[in-house]
Amino acid sequence: MNMSVSAKEVFELHPQATVLTIDFFDTLITRSVAQPTHVFAVMEEELCRRFGRRWHGFAVQRVESEHTARRSAARTNAQRDVNFAEIISELSALMGLSEQDRKMVAELEAETEVSLATAIRFGADVAEYALSEGMKVVVVSDNYMSSNHIANMAHAVGLTWVQQANVIVSSEHGAMKHNGTLWDVVLQRLQVDPALILHVGDDALADGEIPAKRGIVTYINNHMRQSHRHMMNTSPAVLPFSRMEAHIRNTTVGREADALESVSALVAMIVAAQIVDARGVLAQREVAGVHFVARDGFLAHSVWESLRKTGWDLPEASYFSFSRSVVWRAGIQIVDESTMAKFIGDDEELTVPRLERRLGCSLKSTIDPSATISAATARQILVANSDNILAASAQLRERMLGYLETQGLLAHGHHVVVDLGWTGSSIADLAKIVSEATNGKSVIEGRLTGLYWDAWPQRVRVALHGFAMDDFHTVDDNLRLLGILNLLEVVVTAPHGSVVGYGDAASGFAPQYVTTLVELDAYSQVVGAVSSRAAQTAEEILNGVHVSGVNATDITGASVWAAMMQVGHTPRAEEIALMGILRHISAIDHEGDGNALVLAAPSQPRKRNDSFTHGVFDALMHGHWLQGTLRDWSCETASATLVSDIERLFPFTHPQWVTV
Amino acid sequence: MRTYERPILLARAIASVQNQTYRDWTLVIVNNGGNPGPVEDVVRVAKSATPCGNIQVLHLSERVGMEEASNRGLAATQSEFFAIHDDDDSWISTFLEVALEGIRAHPTAAAVVTGVNRIHELYRDGKVRPERAENFFLNQERLTYEGMIGNNTFPPIAALFRRRLLDDIGGFDSTLPVLGDWEFNLRAVLSGGFVFIPERLANYHTRTPDSEVSSGNSITVGINLHHEVRRQLQNRWLSEPSVNGVNKGALSIASYVEELPPVGPGALQKIAAGIKNPRRGALGVARRVRRIISR
Repeated sequence: MNMSVSAKEVFELHPQATVLTIDFFDTLITRSVAQPTHVFAVMEEELCRRFGRRWHGFAVQRVESEHTARRSAARTNAQRDVNFAEIISELSALMGLSEQDRKMVAELEAETEVSLATAIRFGADVAEYALSEGMKVVVVSDNYMSSNHIANMAHAVGLTWVQQANVIVSSEHGAMKHNGTLWDVVLQRLQVDPALILHVGDDALADGEIPAKRGIVTYINNHMRQSHRHMMNTSPAVLPFSRMEAHIRNTTVGREADALESVSALVAMIVAAQIVDARGVLAQREVAGVHFVARDGFLAHSVWESLRKTGWDLPEASYFSFSRSVVWRAGIQIVDESTMAKFIGDDEELTVPRLERRLGCSLKSTIDPSATISAATARQILVANSDNILAASAQLRERMLGYLETQGLLAHGHHVVVDLGWTGSSIADLAKIVSEATNGKSVIEGRLTGLYWDAWPQRVRVALHGFAMDDFHTVDDNLRLLGILNLLEVVVTAPHGSVVGYGDAASGFAPQYVTTLVELDAYSQVVGAVSSRAAQTAEEILNGVHVSGVNATDITGASVWAAMMQVGHTPRAEEIALMGILRHISAIDHEGDGNALVLAAPSQPRKRNDSFTHGVFDALMHGHWLQGTLRDWSCETASATLVSDIERLFPFTHPQWVTV
Repeated sequence: MRTYERPILLARAIASVQNQTYRDWTLVIVNNGGNPGPVEDVVRVAKSATPCGNIQVLHLSERVGMEEASNRGLAATQSEFFAIHDDDDSWISTFLEVALEGIRAHPTAAAVVTGVNRIHELYRDGKVRPERAENFFLNQERLTYEGMIGNNTFPPIAALFRRRLLDDIGGFDSTLPVLGDWEFNLRAVLSGGFVFIPERLANYHTRTPDSEVSSGNSITVGINLHHEVRRQLQNRWLSEPSVNGVNKGALSIASYVEELPPVGPGALQKIAAGIKNPRRGALGVARRVRRIISR
């Protein structure tokens, strides 16, 4: 529904109405956080601040206690809603609260709800227009809070016309809008022809279909629901991103724009994290240089330089072109089937010319250049051409070192290299090359925003730190990160291709990039717009002027991780639709069409077994955006059962990522 | 931190300390008779990016027992609190912050113990790959003298001790090749009690049977030794005089519960499969159910 429809236009559509009933939450009032349960995360933050870590995990337990209370209530009367006292009672049992704590928590929740309340312009306009026309206005809400509390919240945001007497709330009537019983209460109370009642709300069922069946005229505006994700994912860490999402929800019109903004907000938090982290290192020790790695560091470097121009006390940083492809090729010292294995994936089908481009040298072979060869044959060809490969490697290494010198990386001292990274292996390889070239006088420290357990062996070779994620998180968290790796590689990138070589000394060892149509398309369709918004937002966050109030102190490992999970692990349909048009190229030579981020559901055998499900999971994990694809499939009946099977076999794929 | 010839695991363990949100720590690495070169290399790389904390290395010229290595490391520090961080385990970044807050909030406690994730990992060809994780069963009851006397109920990585214990009850028993932590805990718990913090902030890593033997845990590669040392300790305690009519050794023997493989998420499915397949034996199923319930 379009938010641009005015209050007057709503009534022009329904001129017969003499009474307005209006939903409360997400129609008249919203909160300055993205979803209702995040109120409990704000409470947890406050409880931990006041009383220490014994309140850690409060938010999730508060959500759980509400579920338990609802289940208990349904056992005796399926028609009625629960009330606040019942929820607090369940919470007390769950957390072992004293009577004093119980009272304190109840008061804090009421206070927090009031302090986070924000009026929704559309809803407020509709109500005020109705009042100005002399219509009766009644608030009808499914909520566990009391009518008195609802009136208090309304007054806090200036809706003084809301009085306890004109609030009909489910918790006080043992009835609910969702099953229709509260609508019976409404009709009995109002005693008017249902056709003369216009109801405005946000829930297609409770505010639309069900009252319509009773003859009430309805108008649905569900814009505010767009920022809701899985309700159990509620912890203080999620609040910075939640506040940014709430701001997006309150200011954007239209689903596509909203998705673009939320993905941009995620990228902005990652970029801000890269800068906060690098700045933190500078505050701690003497550093010979700060270097942002192509292509993940492009945005962070541009924001860094922009901050310098606006007066930030930051040293000049390099943006240097470096990739897995060049560091692997520059580091070849032995050519055999084992050392060549990493250049050729087992499932790849190649041609000899493509192999030549991949290794950067000519290869002698009797095989027809247009013929497709297997991975095994390709490796044999490479081994047979070891002299050419070693010569090309030595030349590339020389040029690479020439280039690194122009970027300041060979200057003696401690260098900070900022990268999204994943395993840290490329940075470790780079550190080895730099250390050998400088006799250990240049030391590299990798500052990685993404990092997972495969980084452990690299720690022997290079000092690694992960800001948003580290390898000491749970195995499940590490796997969740792996599942969104393809998404993050696509959205945190540069407008240029990946580096595959360097020019000679005469060219200043200029990087040579490979340009692919797939990446150009992605940049022009989505990634360019995401990048420019993200850079601007990151700068606003760091300067403390972002309108959501999120600033540099909110950028922590936990909050960036939470933002990654909210978009990457529990994406909304609009985000899947937006990112689903993109493809990701992961081949080392950056050739080919890559893989769709969101895979189409496979045709399923009549009798599906675990082996089939394992195969699907492996394909998604290695080549696609795992969680985006699963959430997409879960919307279709035909593929939803496959998703259930995957969640059963791989529990980490379940939407709930916050655990206690 | 005791280590012997496991540089990759050592690097991870050091990083786990470096990652702590609490920064005022001293880490003493006791290289227990291993080659000094790889240890120095790992420490050099780690130090190059860690301005906080203080890392010292003690190279022992010959290998001594685990507990003696711990005592040597402790002798090199003066801190108010201490932890024994094995070179194959790790902490979540808030372990020290939360554990310190906990022990300071309980001035009479001898130690605090946090919840534990048990991580089963494959170590092969110089790479570590976690295969699955589970909640290590622990609660306040298992941290009492009565809860611990029969079995070693938690891994060292989960505990933060008050240093005064070393003066009150002495250090670790150097004569014990394994289970020195259990013997120490039983003395320590009588000197102030242990406080349980349910947050799972310690990672207890164990290698799977497919892993290289050199990477193995003392408990998984030396299970027979554990049984033998437990019996030796129980015999030792049997010869000690009873306190309030209770003999420590007799109590330990009576309280001992056979060590069982951990109950993973698939346990119920296995039981269900057993029920579906009578040939697996109803008795076995019942035994399995009893074991789970008893935990």
